[in-house]
Amino acid sequence: MSLVNAELFKVRTTSLWWIMGIILLPLYAASVLANWAQYANSEVTGDTTDLQAQQIQAALQPINVATSLYTSGQYFGILIVLLLSAIIVTSEFFHLTATTTFLTTPHREAVILAKFGAAVIIAAVIWLFTTVVNLIVVPLILGNLDLPTQLGEPAVWRAIGLNALAFVLWAILGVGAGVLIRSQIAATLILAITYVAGTAVVSIIFALLTNFVAEWINNLQVLVPTSASQLMISGTDLPGSPPQWVGAIVLIGYAVVTGLLGTWITKRRDIS
Amino acid sequence: MSRPGTDEIVVEHLTKQYKRLRAVDDLSFRVRSGRVTGFLGPNGAGKTTTLRMLLGLVTPTAGTATFGSRKYVDLPDPVREVGAVLEASSANRGRTGRNHLRMICRAAGLPDSRADEVLATVGLTPAANRKFKGYSLGMKQRLGIAAALLGDPRVLILDEPANGLDPEGIRWMRDLLKSLAAEGRTVLVSSHLLGEMQLLADDVVIVAAGKLIRQGPVHDVLGDGSGHAQVRVRSPQTEQLTAALATLGATVTPAPDGSLLVHGAEAAAIGHAAFTAGVELHELATEQGDLEQVFLQLTAGKAGIR
Ligand SMILES: Nc1ncnc2c1ncn2[C@@H]1O[C@H](COP(=O)(O)OP(=O)(O)OP(=O)(O)O)[C@@H](O)[C@H]1O
Ligand SMILES: [Mg+2]
Repeated sequence: MSLVNAELFKVRTTSLWWIMGIILLPLYAASVLANWAQYANSEVTGDTTDLQAQQIQAALQPINVATSLYTSGQYFGILIVLLLSAIIVTSEFFHLTATTTFLTTPHREAVILAKFGAAVIIAAVIWLFTTVVNLIVVPLILGNLDLPTQLGEPAVWRAIGLNALAFVLWAILGVGAGVLIRSQIAATLILAITYVAGTAVVSIIFALLTNFVAEWINNLQVLVPTSASQLMISGTDLPGSPPQWVGAIVLIGYAVVTGLLGTWITKRRDIS
Repeated sequence: MSRPGTDEIVVEHLTKQYKRLRAVDDLSFRVRSGRVTGFLGPNGAGKTTTLRMLLGLVTPTAGTATFGSRKYVDLPDPVREVGAVLEASSANRGRTGRNHLRMICRAAGLPDSRADEVLATVGLTPAANRKFKGYSLGMKQRLGIAAALLGDPRVLILDEPANGLDPEGIRWMRDLLKSLAAEGRTVLVSSHLLGEMQLLADDVVIVAAGKLIRQGPVHDVLGDGSGHAQVRVRSPQTEQLTAALATLGATVTPAPDGSLLVHGAEAAAIGHAAFTAGVELHELATEQGDLEQVFLQLTAGKAGIR
């Protein structure tokens, strides 16, 4: 526990945390407003396929509007958590502090474990912040949309819980990725690009594969971490996609694999 | 060999093979407590690699490096047992010196107040709240020493700690390390500053090309480099003195400054010979061998950078 405390102390004693905070705040505000605008203006248009129309209609059901609004800020919040988690590891090599860290705690798995712990706590704090603000702001927005607050619905609370799980899993993934990609610049660039562009690029690739190779390939899309995460947190089951828990399992799988691999590599590597 | 005490450093058959290069090659030596031991060798001799293996940062290919009989990773409370300064630039540029030390305190379970105590010891208190990126080389080095002292350890390991220190700082460090050794601690210091080492070290371990060249007390090592210590004599009657010394069987070499360098006779015998020959002396001084000379002789031909 004192090691987790030390890791959090490291984050608090550089300017990194408030820089990330300053980046996150406007992005979070923008996503709340964007969600609001989307539901205020959307209706089902004529020339869509049956499946698309079904999906859009499903998304417009009051409960789905509510779950997506109550988890606002997830997209950018997770991005920030992912980058912070990776930097917790890469900064040790960037600033050559790994020597000091491993001299203080020669049991390297304990250090990595503490970094996982610190990243998870940071993720939980950011999740808590966005969730509390959402719980205050979203009832007002729903009122504006002429929808009930739906705070009594289990589905809403399940979405908020899954949102927390997503934050935590991405934090673990970030630490693991930081160990695997030791260069600070490479790690932040690769993770940010994969996270932001990843989902779009992947869905294009899979759309092409599905069209030209075979229908079943589309089901493999869930193996991509960003797609898995989206599936896991998509509130209620939407028609045409695998069940939610599949997304959760895939994401947990990635977190466990990067975590274990990262720890194993750190234990073996020479620090010089 | 005697059973090693817990604060004795024991290196046995230590070897590190990098892809093409054997950085450390079957190296064995011991470092005793209560003394300052100088760890000397040309660039690339394997000193840093040896110290990193001793501290569990680099895995040896073969052999062991231990404190008593325990490896660094097996020490129950390493920060309180061993302090190490490995490189000057090892702190986050955006963190203050005080927070750098507190971070170690938190991880090691030491009270935060230790950070301020060691800052005072190394004279960094005025810069405690400045960020590391604003530190000079000497201040970084002092912060490293402060970190090593946090746990008040029995063993200190320093890799070129004099780097970047000003003359006053070097003297301060010499006094600090000598007083730590005098308290019975083990102090192992690698350095290239041989003049400084001659003032500081009680024992030396000399390595070249990853192998042990010589180990022992400084005066022994100096002895086998230059034969015997030399004595410098100055006299207005150089010729009579030279003749008188010849009867002692000593070799006499005239120095450029007009004095005579005598090998093979001790100062007392030379003084006596001069006295009986009725020769007036203006200077009579025993000169210790020079560690730099001995070092260069011992490591000659064992190319440094490989
Ligand atoms: N990670 C590494 N991979 C390959 N070779 C290495 C590595 N680390 C060190 N070496 C090589 O091992 C040899 C010993 O290096 P080391 O740093 O231990 O020398 P040193 O005695 O500390 O030298 P200096 O006095 O210059 O500090 C050098 O030839 C160096 O190039
Ligand atoms: Mg070195």
